[in-house]
Amino acid sequence: MTELALEIRDVSKRYAEHVAVKQLSLAVPRGTVYGLLGPNGAGKTTTIRMVLNVIGPDTGSITVFGQSHKDPTVLDRLGYLPEERGLYKKMSVRDVLRFLAELKGVDRKRADRGIDEWLERLSLRTPEKDWGKAKVDELSRGMQQKVQFIGTLLHDPELVILDEPFSGLDPINAQALKDTVVELRRRGKTVIFSTHLMDNAERLCDSVCIIARGEKVLDGSLAAVKAENAGRTVAVALDGGASAAVQEVLQDRALVLRADDHSRYFEVELTASGDPQVLLTRLIAAGAVLQRFERVQPSLHQIFLQRVGAAGVEEGMSGHG
Amino acid sequence: MAKLWTVVKREYLERVRTKWFIIVTLFGPIFFAMIMVLPGYLSVKGMREARVTNLRIVDATGLGIGERVSQRLAAPQISAGMAPSMARVDTVTQEGVADVEEALLARVVSREENGVLILDSATVASGRARYLGRDAGSVGQVDALEGAVRTALIGARLEALGLDAPTADAITRLRVRIDAEKVTDQGKGGSGLAGTVFGFGVAFLLYMSIILYGQNILRGVLEEKTTRVAEVVVSSVSPDVLLAGKVIGVGAVGLTQMLVWVASGVLFWEQRSRVFSAMGIQNMPQISFPTIDPLVLVALVLYFILGYTFYASLFAAVGAMVGSQEEAQQASQPVLMLLVFSIIFVQPVMTNPTGQLALVMSWLPFSAPIIMPMRMTATPVPPLEIAGSLFGLALACAAAIWLSARIYRVGLLMYGKRPSMRELLRWIRQS
Repeated sequence: MTELALEIRDVSKRYAEHVAVKQLSLAVPRGTVYGLLGPNGAGKTTTIRMVLNVIGPDTGSITVFGQSHKDPTVLDRLGYLPEERGLYKKMSVRDVLRFLAELKGVDRKRADRGIDEWLERLSLRTPEKDWGKAKVDELSRGMQQKVQFIGTLLHDPELVILDEPFSGLDPINAQALKDTVVELRRRGKTVIFSTHLMDNAERLCDSVCIIARGEKVLDGSLAAVKAENAGRTVAVALDGGASAAVQEVLQDRALVLRADDHSRYFEVELTASGDPQVLLTRLIAAGAVLQRFERVQPSLHQIFLQRVGAAGVEEGMSGHG
Repeated sequence: MAKLWTVVKREYLERVRTKWFIIVTLFGPIFFAMIMVLPGYLSVKGMREARVTNLRIVDATGLGIGERVSQRLAAPQISAGMAPSMARVDTVTQEGVADVEEALLARVVSREENGVLILDSATVASGRARYLGRDAGSVGQVDALEGAVRTALIGARLEALGLDAPTADAITRLRVRIDAEKVTDQGKGGSGLAGTVFGFGVAFLLYMSIILYGQNILRGVLEEKTTRVAEVVVSSVSPDVLLAGKVIGVGAVGLTQMLVWVASGVLFWEQRSRVFSAMGIQNMPQISFPTIDPLVLVALVLYFILGYTFYASLFAAVGAMVGSQEEAQQASQPVLMLLVFSIIFVQPVMTNPTGQLALVMSWLPFSAPIIMPMRMTATPVPPLEIAGSLFGLALACAAAIWLSARIYRVGLLMYGKRPSMRELLRWIRQS
């Protein structure tokens, strides 16, 4: 049994007008929650569609649980919730779910049992009303979203891929989704989701991959990503203002890339070779009276802005995932 | 394979369960039964209520013409196996006509009688008679009366020439019927009118089914695209399987409908005597069914399946290209044109099923599914020609499937502007 749920190696996809994905490689360990982060149009949906073998990559290889993603049995082990959601409007909820489950190779009896369980869990079936018998277009939007989750998870997939799962969800369904993701992870399933909302990613993910303009910016476990980027920022608070000697240290471009001056409070971003330890000794040598000297853990949001930059976000706005 | 079956099952069941399908499928046999039974039923009903016998005859001829007319009028009822209702005859002298006429006229006015037929010496001499009735404007009524008076007079004249009554009667009963048989370049070319009607029927049935179910596929594809269900489904099955399942499922719906129609038609035909006698009709309408070679029947089914598949894949491709119902209408024009082009030439091909036009149209893949089956019912077509045209159609079918599968694969997940011709070519190359 391989340790990786998904491995993408050197995958590129070019369309006539633009390159959607460029030389992308990433690895998703089994049993983790993995965030695929990036601005709109970064290539997240294209990447996901390539994993699902809906779009063929121009170059590179994709393996799911160690098998080629083109292996027809692989699709049965995947559950997918697309960004653009929809169901057959004229079918009954039960028929739609049964259809989706049968497409994943689940037999009717097992599907029916699963449907009962899920409808009850998401309170779509109560003693008063069984929404399973209703037609899809009789359901409210929130209920349709629930039905769509059920369709994604009914066949108990080992790898669940959610494309922008939080977009358009009401708070109750968003909470239900979070709970479900946590529970899936506890049961040893692997969850990959794409989002441009860093807060959700920060709270849920074990590992992340940030892509922009079709290219990978960084990837790794959340802790590693944070640690890697943590060294860069130091928060410094002084008792009294900064003396000329202290200012001189902060303006040393060999050590400090940028210092955000709030007169008594400084957010100092170190250069790549800048060592916080050196900064500390030099500040003390310059006679600074320190109230606070702290290596700050940047939020994922800050890392994202730092690494992708405003340009990447704006450029991404025009295209399609 | 199991997944293909799942898709086929959904496409089939979702359509067969709709009210629309049930209504149309049931309406077919009812319509068929109506055109079979109605004419016979109406004529019998007409005879039952016939006013032709519900009249008074004033006979001043002195030759018993009135009695003969009365019998003539009742003849259709007798041959239909009903108890005849005879018109009452008042035999009067030439002078007495005016008095009786006046008395009966009053009865007609007061609706006690329907009409009065007056026969006098002028009738015997020149065949002129008078009818006073509420339904004197009815062409049918007057026709029936004229016919009855004419045969009665002929009978009387024949008897006057010395023939005995039964012989004279038999002569006046003579009926003429012409069985028209068509001759073409290859000799006797089929069963004439019946063959033509059947040929038209087959052509229109194929045309209607292809249009109906082809557009049904288009709507299905469009629905999956606009509701974005397609995205979920293609994460479980390949677009090719989805497309194939759709074409097969909807085709099966079409075949089911035709099967119901044909089976109920055959059943009705087998049981027609029982149905007619239940409705009190003894003499069945004379409809001759052209005899059909079983091989032709097999070819018909093949033409339907291949023709349907050809157009269904094209319609599916159109559905995948567009983003709304309005766009679909526009974009499906070229495909519809191919169909309409075929149906325009139905008439000329039928008039000359062995001509150059007929030959070319039954080889062209897009018109063959409509023109060839029609031709085959009208005139014998060499088996080699049928096989060749079927083979060509099958090739075109494969090409259409290949082409539309490519467009479908890309188009299904492509939202936004309708692709230009150039973009479309790129889609085809890309996938």
